[in-house]
Amino acid sequence: MPTFKLNGQEIPFEKGDTIIRAAWRAGIEIPHYCWHPGLSVAANCRMCLVHVKSGRQMMMPILKWNEKKQAFLPDTKPKLVPACQQAAEENLEVDSVGPEVKNAQAAVQELLLLNHPVDCPICDQAGECKLQDYYEEHQATLKRKRTEPVHKPKGVRFGPTIVYDAERCIMCTRCIRVCDELVGDHVLDMRERGNRNEIVLAPGRELDHDYTLMTEHVCPVGALTSRDFRFKARVWFLKSAEGVCTGCATGCNTHVDFDPRYGKVYRLRPRDNADVNRFWMCDQGMMTYREVHERRLVTPVLGRGPSAEKLLPEDAPSEAATLLGRVKEKGKLAVVLGAGMSSEDNFVAARFAKLFGTSRLYLAARDAEAVGWKGDAILKNADPNPNRAGATQVAGRDLADLDDLLADVLAGQVSSVVALGHFGGEGEGKLDALKKLDVVLSLASNEGPLPSVASLQIPVASWAETFGTFVNAKGMAQTFVRAIPAPDGVHPAWKTLCAIAKELGLSLAYERTGDVRNDMNAAAAAADAQPQASA
Amino acid sequence: MAVGIKVVPKPERTLSDQLYAPEIAKGLGKTMARFFKNTFGPEEEKEIATVRYPEEKREYPPRFRGIHRLTQRADGSPRCVACLCCSTACPAQCIHIEPAEYAEGDPRHGYERFPAVFTIDELRCIYCGYCVEACPCDAIRMDTGLHMPPSTSREHFLYDKEVLLNLPGRDGTYLTANPRHEPGDPTHPGIDREQGH
Repeated sequence: MPTFKLNGQEIPFEKGDTIIRAAWRAGIEIPHYCWHPGLSVAANCRMCLVHVKSGRQMMMPILKWNEKKQAFLPDTKPKLVPACQQAAEENLEVDSVGPEVKNAQAAVQELLLLNHPVDCPICDQAGECKLQDYYEEHQATLKRKRTEPVHKPKGVRFGPTIVYDAERCIMCTRCIRVCDELVGDHVLDMRERGNRNEIVLAPGRELDHDYTLMTEHVCPVGALTSRDFRFKARVWFLKSAEGVCTGCATGCNTHVDFDPRYGKVYRLRPRDNADVNRFWMCDQGMMTYREVHERRLVTPVLGRGPSAEKLLPEDAPSEAATLLGRVKEKGKLAVVLGAGMSSEDNFVAARFAKLFGTSRLYLAARDAEAVGWKGDAILKNADPNPNRAGATQVAGRDLADLDDLLADVLAGQVSSVVALGHFGGEGEGKLDALKKLDVVLSLASNEGPLPSVASLQIPVASWAETFGTFVNAKGMAQTFVRAIPAPDGVHPAWKTLCAIAKELGLSLAYERTGDVRNDMNAAAAAADAQPQASA
Repeated sequence: MAVGIKVVPKPERTLSDQLYAPEIAKGLGKTMARFFKNTFGPEEEKEIATVRYPEEKREYPPRFRGIHRLTQRADGSPRCVACLCCSTACPAQCIHIEPAEYAEGDPRHGYERFPAVFTIDELRCIYCGYCVEACPCDAIRMDTGLHMPPSTSREHFLYDKEVLLNLPGRDGTYLTANPRHEPGDPTHPGIDREQGH
């Protein structure tokens, strides 16, 4: 691979790379605002100016203050180039830390802050703001401007999700480029110039496509803020855990931002993964964090309708075992795997079915039409279930869906049900047939059609409260980690199933997610090896 | 290194010391003399170092940190913008704030937010004054000169926004010492798009 020299260090680059991209790939940050690895080059913030020392030097005439003569005298200085636009070439010598460059960075930083309101205390970006970071790093001088800053519109509603503050904006045009290049919807543009420059909406439009929160995500300053996250938390209180989005089968990688003091998830941010979501996520995916706290089930409930009674969490497994102990024909128990549950949960459920003595496995999955989900060519998969592939994988075969289950219930083939997850059965009264069965055990984290028809609901941990694996539409198994603790007495579904199995006297005992995962991978490896052996 | 040693002579005991009773009488005499002077003597000659506490109180130094108050704007709304700097700085984690936004149409909309909930657990507070230092708006002050009044319930020590806003400073006002000109005020020096540059 060809290389060039950045501050004396050899940096490898690929053909077509710019200096900043090659450095970024090597893990070296050249300060920048407008450049984003996923977007085209605008080269308008001028923060990434570097000095190319090799080759012919272009000198700029300047006037330099001469202390001795007490006058400005003609002088020259090297012309700097933006690293985001300068193509990397073999044997280029680039300096990004020298005095010339430092000077330029400090000057650019001062210019960007010239009319900035410095309202950090009320700005949501404070704490993760590039202006703050680079001020400390590259300027750190007091403001010299003594006149009143130029005032521009604040708190402008750009759409249902985004609020715009023109005073904080540095006109890097990242948001415009996200709309243009990622979504292909030229809804944002800029008007005027200089210190009156501002971002505006296309006439008669709102910022209402499916990737509006990405404009906020790429905004390096506090100009665009998410109406959902606005004023909810200060980012320095938040910690991050690595998650996988549950919105659809794409399985976008996320940062789950939560406040450890309250055990509350506040937002999702896309986590870079070149193979899955690159740098992006859709709005619906970003909002899936809400289900960690909204419409949650936290208490086990026995019975249906008015006769329903709440149970203590520790009594739930024994009640479930009593219920399942009443099942006469074990082969008529249907175990419904969840397309929204982790592979670990589904694997243990499939094991549970086998040990219980039934081979009736079904899959509960959200129906795209019923939940109003539409895929697109950017990120959104047509299937709104994060782990359909994983559930199929652990079952070892294609699974019958809920319609088949209902048909089998009506035909008398199924007399009792154990169902995982709250996905599936959307649509008014679709699952009414299940209400007639005595034994319908639902293990779900949220309210949904399946838990609502259950004769015993046991709450389980949501995706933010447990470790697990989702297999996306491409067949990539992606693990996610626990962000916050589950509510008191609530455990992951696989653990709850193990507790029920223990009460029933079945030999299904896992202590840790790692044990489940090892067994799951061993089973998958065995299943892979089998066809080869028979061939 | 040489160590300098100073020899202190042992005090000699006189006959009256050794007799015990005269020295006791001398000591008691001093005590009783002070007692009669402080009880019956003229006011200006009394030498009493203590105060009769609950009825009589010492004046606190000007920088005494009493219970907190939230300063008000001229229109009575809280000066606080719920930036959470104070609760970030608080080592006792006794400040709970929930920010909210001024409604659309309000002249302050887009400029500032305000605390919908602002609660200080005065029992947990260690009166270090970091919150006051951290506040960028001079919205929280500890210049009430007040002690925490005793109470029988822990809940009584959770001071909410209304209580904190209605505690006056030692000067008796609810305002800050640093008046500020809000956007929209005629005194605000800002120039906006409408007025031109």
